[in-house]
Amino acid sequence: MAFSKAMLVARADLKMALQVKYVRLSLIGMGAFGPIIALLLIVLVVASVPLGADYYILMAFFPPMGATLLAMFSVIPATMISANALVGEREQNTLEPILSTPLTDRELLLGKTLSSFIPSIALLLAGTCAVLLGSTIAFVVTGKPWMMIPDVPGLFLILCAAPLVILTAVSVNIIISGKVKRVYEAYQSSGMIILVLMIPMLVPIVTLEADMPNPNVIWLANLFTFLISIILVTVTWALALKRFNRDTMVSRR
Amino acid sequence: MVVCVSEEVEILGLTKNFGELVALDHIEESVPEGSIFGLLGPNGAGKSTTIRLLCTLLKPTDGTAKVGGLDIRESPVKVREITGVLPEEGNHTLYPSLTVYENLEYFGRLYGVPDDEIPGRIQDLLTFMELWERKDDKTGTLSTGNRQRVALCRALLHNPRVLLLDEPTSALDPVAAKRVRELIMSLSQKYRQTFFINSHNLAEVQRICDRIAIIDKGKIILTGKTTELREKLHGQQEYRIRIVGDPSKAESLVRSVDYVESASTEVDTIVVRIRDPLQNNSKLIRKLLDAGVNVVEFSEEEASLEDLYLETIKGGSS
Repeated sequence: MAFSKAMLVARADLKMALQVKYVRLSLIGMGAFGPIIALLLIVLVVASVPLGADYYILMAFFPPMGATLLAMFSVIPATMISANALVGEREQNTLEPILSTPLTDRELLLGKTLSSFIPSIALLLAGTCAVLLGSTIAFVVTGKPWMMIPDVPGLFLILCAAPLVILTAVSVNIIISGKVKRVYEAYQSSGMIILVLMIPMLVPIVTLEADMPNPNVIWLANLFTFLISIILVTVTWALALKRFNRDTMVSRR
Repeated sequence: MVVCVSEEVEILGLTKNFGELVALDHIEESVPEGSIFGLLGPNGAGKSTTIRLLCTLLKPTDGTAKVGGLDIRESPVKVREITGVLPEEGNHTLYPSLTVYENLEYFGRLYGVPDDEIPGRIQDLLTFMELWERKDDKTGTLSTGNRQRVALCRALLHNPRVLLLDEPTSALDPVAAKRVRELIMSLSQKYRQTFFINSHNLAEVQRICDRIAIIDKGKIILTGKTTELREKLHGQQEYRIRIVGDPSKAESLVRSVDYVESASTEVDTIVVRIRDPLQNNSKLIRKLLDAGVNVVEFSEEEASLEDLYLETIKGGSS
């Protein structure tokens, strides 16, 4: 398998996806939205709430919430780019020419996956760094004690579970690309995967102890999300690899 | 290892079913290297399915085919390397948000054309197609005919041994269509490239193809060299007798003659098909004149491939 050919497909797909207005807006908007919201809330609390019980209760919510926000908003661009790369080819009738080239199925799949995976991960990491840096500046400026946002469980979610959820979203688009005919149908369907990331957001909230999220529960929720992501990515990729063949894609025009 | 191939495309009992529908039913055909083959047939006959099978987009239900000596079942990637494909409605198969140049450059790289050769090849092809000045325009802004030309350039870019072209001149104006026909003939003669063309354009097929086949309902119902088929048509000419007066009376008189095979009326003209015309034409004219029919014109209408096509399709349908 030639990795260079897969990268060629990925670059072209990304370039074409970015020329679609709503994809471009979602990539920039969603990529920026998560970190901006998280940072605004952090700065608001750090700047306006005096040190005390209320401050620590409020600040205890930021690490899990911030990490989940960042993870969720990185999946949305992935669903849009992969929907464009897979179903978009069918929609704009470019599927046959690309399938007629000497690309192997694996090169094509890898290219289509990388085109959405690379920018989504880049956004996720850039957003994480921005929140980490922005919150540190807020703590330094206000003289409040430093907290790592996202914290270690949050980084675990961002670095381990989020990439798997992104890959799952791509694989769902591969599975449904032989069935749906419109790009928006594809990203609506694959966008459902984002619900997995509600687990680490909701579980700590519904299991509050003394009005604060329990760190052990946060770890457990993140581990559980990671495990679910592993299962989902394994199952959906097995299905995607089984279903991805030229005959099916061309026959169901 | 050098593989000598005389037949560049060999179709061996190729069959394709889509569920209950039999799209292709055990077709057999062979196309020699450097020749131009035309596949004719009505819509839904199986022409595009044949091309999709030959370029390995579809998998055969039964049978197989060899392209450049490579089995489409066993070596699909290698088959794709040596084939250039113009899909059905080729003008709609370009990336509209990429420029003409970017579209071709992308496919050049995917087909493994060396990076340093891509610009030259693109320039040569676009110059030939009179599109070089529009290389930086997005293909979405081009006319249908120009997009078709770009799609043709894409199929030719990697100098494939076999070209599978689905309606190559559809959407082209007569001048551009003529250039494309000339290009196809020149490539087949100079570089021994083999062309497998699907077409509805009978005149075009008659002009450029060495061999044709007529397909209907997934079966090849007639095949042969174009010259042979034209010879087969010889002797099936129709004659047109233009008269002044009541054509129905003249038509019934013509029908009553034993050597007239068929007769019909088109306004003031009786169209007849005569057995052994060299012997019987003069007899028929004399008979009409003797009966007082005012014959003002008697002309021969040369049978074309279109006649054969229509007759074959009609025969296949009944």
